[in-house]
Amino acid sequence: MLKGIVMKKRMIAISYIFLFILSVAFGYGEAFQIRILHVNDFQGFAEPYKPVGSNEMVGGIANLAAEVEELRKERPSLLLSAGDMIQGNNWANLFQGESVIELMNEMRFDAMVVGNHEFDFGPEVLKKRISEANFPVLGANVEGLKVVKPYIIKELKGVQIAVIGVVTEDTPLSTHPKNIAGLKFASPMDTVQRYIAEVEDRADIIIVLSHLGHAVDRVLAERVKGIDLIVGGHSHTKIESPVEIGRTIIVQAWEYGKALGVVDLTIKDKRLIGLRGYLKEVKPEKGKEDQKVLKIVENYNQKMEAVLNEQVGEVDVDLDGERGSVRRRETNLGNLIADILRHTAKADVAIINGGGIRASIRKGKIKVKEIYTALPFDNYIVAIKLTGNQIREALEHGVSAVEEGEGRFPQVSGLSFKYSLPDKKGSRVKEVLVAGQAIDLDKEYIVATNDFLAVGGDGYKVFGEAIKTSRDFLVVGGMMKGEKIVYSDSGRWLRDVVVEYMRGMKRITLMVEGRILEIR
Amino acid sequence: MMRVHVNHNPVEILPGMTVRHALIAAGLIKEVEDSKKVYDEWGNEVGLDGALSEGMKIYVR
Repeated sequence: MLKGIVMKKRMIAISYIFLFILSVAFGYGEAFQIRILHVNDFQGFAEPYKPVGSNEMVGGIANLAAEVEELRKERPSLLLSAGDMIQGNNWANLFQGESVIELMNEMRFDAMVVGNHEFDFGPEVLKKRISEANFPVLGANVEGLKVVKPYIIKELKGVQIAVIGVVTEDTPLSTHPKNIAGLKFASPMDTVQRYIAEVEDRADIIIVLSHLGHAVDRVLAERVKGIDLIVGGHSHTKIESPVEIGRTIIVQAWEYGKALGVVDLTIKDKRLIGLRGYLKEVKPEKGKEDQKVLKIVENYNQKMEAVLNEQVGEVDVDLDGERGSVRRRETNLGNLIADILRHTAKADVAIINGGGIRASIRKGKIKVKEIYTALPFDNYIVAIKLTGNQIREALEHGVSAVEEGEGRFPQVSGLSFKYSLPDKKGSRVKEVLVAGQAIDLDKEYIVATNDFLAVGGDGYKVFGEAIKTSRDFLVVGGMMKGEKIVYSDSGRWLRDVVVEYMRGMKRITLMVEGRILEIR
Repeated sequence: MMRVHVNHNPVEILPGMTVRHALIAAGLIKEVEDSKKVYDEWGNEVGLDGALSEGMKIYVR
């Protein structure tokens, strides 16, 4: 009898010990925390910088990486990126994103989703970047690109975490058609729904790594059930406290490595029972950088210097980009840049603002950095259909503040015109020729310009008016089809287009040709 | 064409364009360059290169 009681007690004790071991090993019973670290829209901002409207230095990937390491020590963590990592800043663009992948490998990212700008260097470069990455690159709604995975399932402390990646359906509208030829971008809502059904039996937590933008993330949370956490990007939104919609939490960590997103998930019995999220803003702190990441940044800075000093062509004359010239008269540099826009967009004419040109290029060998100095703004090429009358209006506006030397003064290609400065503003343009023929005021012409003017920058309302009257445009068979918009390539800065063009030309002789004549 | 609202005023921009383009179209970019910030309709600060979608409302303050 006594022996039986002792045996029973032993069995109970053994059972408790066994259960305790199970609970420790598999996370049953006790609540514990795991951590999601996230960034988005880094776009190659490896070094600290001063944002527009601020005098304070912020960001710096080496400091962000050091934060990641500190936070990883506290609890099991995943490091995720919600896209747009490899294109944007010169530090990324000059190496077609290779520099960014190298530092992401060093930081041991667990996954990223492709952002729309990941496609900007074309499909072959993207495939190469993905092949270099030590982490999976996701894109569940990208059809036709085998190297991206729809989702991954990672285990943290016995908890199975599914991460499904989706990118904006608008990707074809924000990059050159050739970059996404053969690809389809399916509905993110339908895609997420489909993959939730596929993973829900295997996953304890479902995360959507979204490059859709915050407004769309909110709709996704409302419409698709079963998502625990949306880690967002694309809208560069600074979400300081996680947003709760139904049973879904949404986070996003601003832009350019200015903040690291931190989400602590409290888990009990493999279920999410609590969540705390915040942004850790990143500031440059000397001596606190992750030294390995800092070394990568510095290595590419040196390489960048070499690329910027690379010779891309030669000119026989000085190319005039002086402020007093490009804002008051035709210059040979203005002609060159306008010509490049016109040829690139296969347009009839090109009109750019003289104020977009910021320096001259001296005769002799041209280096990449001279072109970058002359064209410092992150502008890209857009081409819009305008009537002859609208072109004339644009030119009238362009010469309406010559006396003040304002940046609106036009530099043109494919057309020539005369204007009379003594005449009142709005009635100065006297003669406009397109390809040597008098402009037809009723005919539509394709006009290449930059994105700044396209939305009415420098007061060029005529482009904005054309956009207003244009219904949606589509990319069909690799070509842009729309009522008024025929070209828009936000993935390539104008300065990079000019560099490529000059590489092809090698030796350039340029003159002022009488495209713009002032009548006295 | 995509329509968004800046400080309650509608502006039209191309799909794929950003907060920066909406502010240029609304004539408000200078205010942000001078130190004002941009917020979405839920009060979150947004970056100038942030993507917009049809009907979005942003505010400069």
